[in-house]
Amino acid sequence: MIVDITSRPDNQSKPRGSDYQHIRNLDALIDQLSNCITLSEDDIERLCDQAREVVQDESNVQPVSSPVTVCGDIHGQYHDLIELFRISGPCPDTNYLFMGDYVDRGYHSVESVSLLVALKVRYPKRITILRGNHESRQITQVYGFYDECLRKYGNARVWTLFTDLFDYLPLTALIDNRIFCLHGGLSPSIDTLDHVRKVDRVHEPPHEGPMCDLLWSDPDDRYGWGISPRGAGYTFGKDISDAFNHNNGLSLIARAHQMVMDGYLWSHDRNVVTVFSAPNYCYRCGNLAAILEVDEKLNYQFIQFDPSPRTGEPTMHRRTPDYFL
Amino acid sequence: MEGQGENDELYPIAVLIDELKHDDVLLRLNAIHRLSTIALALGPERTREELIPFLDDSVEDEDEVLTALSEELGNFIEYVGGPEYGHVLLSPLENLAAIEEPLVREKAVESLNKIGEQLSEKQIEENFIPMVLRLSKADWFTSKVSATGLYCVPYRKASPSSQQTLRQYYGGLVHDDTPMVRRQSGNNLAKFIKELNTQIVIEEMIPLFQHLATDEQDSVRLLTVDVLISIAEEIPKEQQPSHGVLLTSLRNLFEDKSWRVRYMVADRYEKIAKAVHEEVVTRDMVPSFVKLLKDTEAEVRTAIAGQIPGFCNLIDRDTLLNEIMTSVEDLVSDPSQHVRAALGTQISGLAPILGKEETIAHLLPMFLQMLKDEFPDVRLHIISKLELVNKVIGIDLLSQSLLPAIVQLAEDKQWRVRLAIIEYIPLLASQLGVKFFDEQLSELCMGWLGDTVFSIREAATQNLRKLTEVFGVDWAKGSIIPKVMGMGQHTNYLYRMTTCFAISTLAPVVSLDIIENSILPILDRLVSDEIPNIRFNVAKSYAVLIDTLRRLPTEGTLTDLEKAGKTATPSPRGQDLIQQRILPSLEKLQEDEDVDVRYFATTAAGGHEEVMQTSP
Repeated sequence: MIVDITSRPDNQSKPRGSDYQHIRNLDALIDQLSNCITLSEDDIERLCDQAREVVQDESNVQPVSSPVTVCGDIHGQYHDLIELFRISGPCPDTNYLFMGDYVDRGYHSVESVSLLVALKVRYPKRITILRGNHESRQITQVYGFYDECLRKYGNARVWTLFTDLFDYLPLTALIDNRIFCLHGGLSPSIDTLDHVRKVDRVHEPPHEGPMCDLLWSDPDDRYGWGISPRGAGYTFGKDISDAFNHNNGLSLIARAHQMVMDGYLWSHDRNVVTVFSAPNYCYRCGNLAAILEVDEKLNYQFIQFDPSPRTGEPTMHRRTPDYFL
Repeated sequence: MEGQGENDELYPIAVLIDELKHDDVLLRLNAIHRLSTIALALGPERTREELIPFLDDSVEDEDEVLTALSEELGNFIEYVGGPEYGHVLLSPLENLAAIEEPLVREKAVESLNKIGEQLSEKQIEENFIPMVLRLSKADWFTSKVSATGLYCVPYRKASPSSQQTLRQYYGGLVHDDTPMVRRQSGNNLAKFIKELNTQIVIEEMIPLFQHLATDEQDSVRLLTVDVLISIAEEIPKEQQPSHGVLLTSLRNLFEDKSWRVRYMVADRYEKIAKAVHEEVVTRDMVPSFVKLLKDTEAEVRTAIAGQIPGFCNLIDRDTLLNEIMTSVEDLVSDPSQHVRAALGTQISGLAPILGKEETIAHLLPMFLQMLKDEFPDVRLHIISKLELVNKVIGIDLLSQSLLPAIVQLAEDKQWRVRLAIIEYIPLLASQLGVKFFDEQLSELCMGWLGDTVFSIREAATQNLRKLTEVFGVDWAKGSIIPKVMGMGQHTNYLYRMTTCFAISTLAPVVSLDIIENSILPILDRLVSDEIPNIRFNVAKSYAVLIDTLRRLPTEGTLTDLEKAGKTATPSPRGQDLIQQRILPSLEKLQEDEDVDVRYFATTAAGGHEEVMQTSP
């Protein structure tokens, strides 16, 4: 249910109190998550129900208006997600578009994805969350989200709730009809945005086909389509992105999916940009993170950032060791 | 095993036993956490006679379950019938104290001590002490490791002869063959010493300390630093010179060949210096301090850098200047960034000790160099501690010498360094005065309003508020307000939003005149901004302004009132402005096409509380 508090001023003179209660509850959950405190199972269940109502009506190519801040992989690096909000401003003041991979690898997948989903429910128009290849039952069982849910809740219910919700997340977004945003890349089965719109997205990502490619493909220096070393999706060359952007009237494809040392990386003569928002990925890569701030005139700037200073997590530099072991 | 059919009263324990034997660890764990419920159902007598013996046998489980069990038993006295039966709990915990997993043993020892506190002298003599002695004499090292942590509690309540036995057994643990046991005996010796009188410490504990201090394992030796402190604190300072062995051990520890031992010494340097005789400090500790500052290991230098002000406070100023200062100065260009960072947090603490002249001569050059350090933490630490220096040499001198460096850091790549500088600005401003500020710093402060990082823009608005408090409303009107309002024209919504944030932040420090003639006009324009985010932030600013105008008198600001501790009649003009300039705009926003704008506008207009109060 999207709560629109004043949607019918004509036939409803006063908005209902229960809606405000609902908003207050959500604000309380967001507060809780902003302090990195996990929600209860019941809260997660309600949240996922509400989130499904919101995202299931969104298009496979969800239209997004500028201005908006475009972000790449988060991977459970909760403290760096909070750092990201410190850099580009809190939601809802700043609009956000996240291009998937909220979970796995980091220590706080549960808190990170809970926060983003809660923001989506509270401010559906201010934040868009796309699906990444890690928003999947199969992948999360291997790369950490499943185990984290089990560890933090003692059972897999929270994992089931979230992975069920992931099926409904939109696959791509389109900023002002000019900037096409998605997690992975292009697909040989897709020539136009209308093809994307027709994909049936509400299920576990398959091992091949257009939906799989959108979540898994990478740009490459070689022309044409290539076999991806990842075992899913394809690699695509500059000729492919040239044609795709031209045929669809696009100025840019923004995508995530690959760790890049500077946080962002242009490819294909600026047809495609990779944005990666997990600094010091896996707490050891030493990379910068970046976000892409698109303003209302579609001017954009990249802002790079370092990991948030933190305690209690592994850090890359040598710390004073514990001598009592 | 008791069957459920025979007797209904046995049902709870039957369930527990079932669950305790369940294949699922989680179920077993839950059963342990519910142990107190079961005990309550059984009553004290049957808890003693059935439950505890059963638990006695259940030490073969996952470590997780045993850890929970060890912890639960520590709070079990009330369930076995009070302290007079407390000793029945010793037996299962004694078994748990022998388990391989350290976490289980730690919890068991913790619980045993908890129980021991509540036992009578008789129970201690008859049950607790024999258990401690059994553990101390066990074959396997795990029991002995646990035993080392169990001496303090019984010792207090024991008879003199038992006390002697306890000390004798502790000596045995100190001389144990396995380093694990010696390590823990060293670890707990410092605490045990606190229980003993000075004479016994001198006669019996110094030899134990000496034995450990010459251990072949550095992991044992490093633990004796705390023992040494403990002993030195116990022996009156004037008697210390007569115990030469202490001094010898101290010197040996200072120059230990293992850096881990030297690290421990460095880490506890101030504490050691406080515990030993003054003569030892000047004669021995000053030279070794210098040595440690030049240690080959960065970890040791980091630790000793952390002790600089603490230790230097204990020695006279001439010694500091003549013997130590040069080595401290060398650390500024230490190859390890962690050493420099540690120095950065501590070095300002020397200013009060050195006094004005020497601070200028010695510390200022160090600051200047460290402010240019390539490692951001070093720069950050120096900036955040400048206030101490400020108090000693005065802001004039400080700013003259450091201003160029500060201006440079104001544009640092790391936003947290910029943030630290911003937070320092109001203090600088209040000391430097308007003229100097306008010439040197004003541009910087306004520049931060357009920083690429949100947190800096936010801090910039806070900074402007503090500056307005320092320089007054008239100054703000000419110097700040036009710049803030100028941001409202920016082409990027994130920067236009800074204007909204600044208005909310500045509201308590501006006058009615400024709100009416500078702030409201810009909001009038922003209220129809094409970006919804701006419009709902206008609504949020309106909410703050309504609250301000309801209380604001014709002259002065809310902060002025608060500082004077006065209340004043709100200006009727404020009410007019709310009615004529704000509410109509809010009404318009409540009809906005964007849901978030409508929400924040309704909140600003007070609509929501109304609904909350009237709805069921």
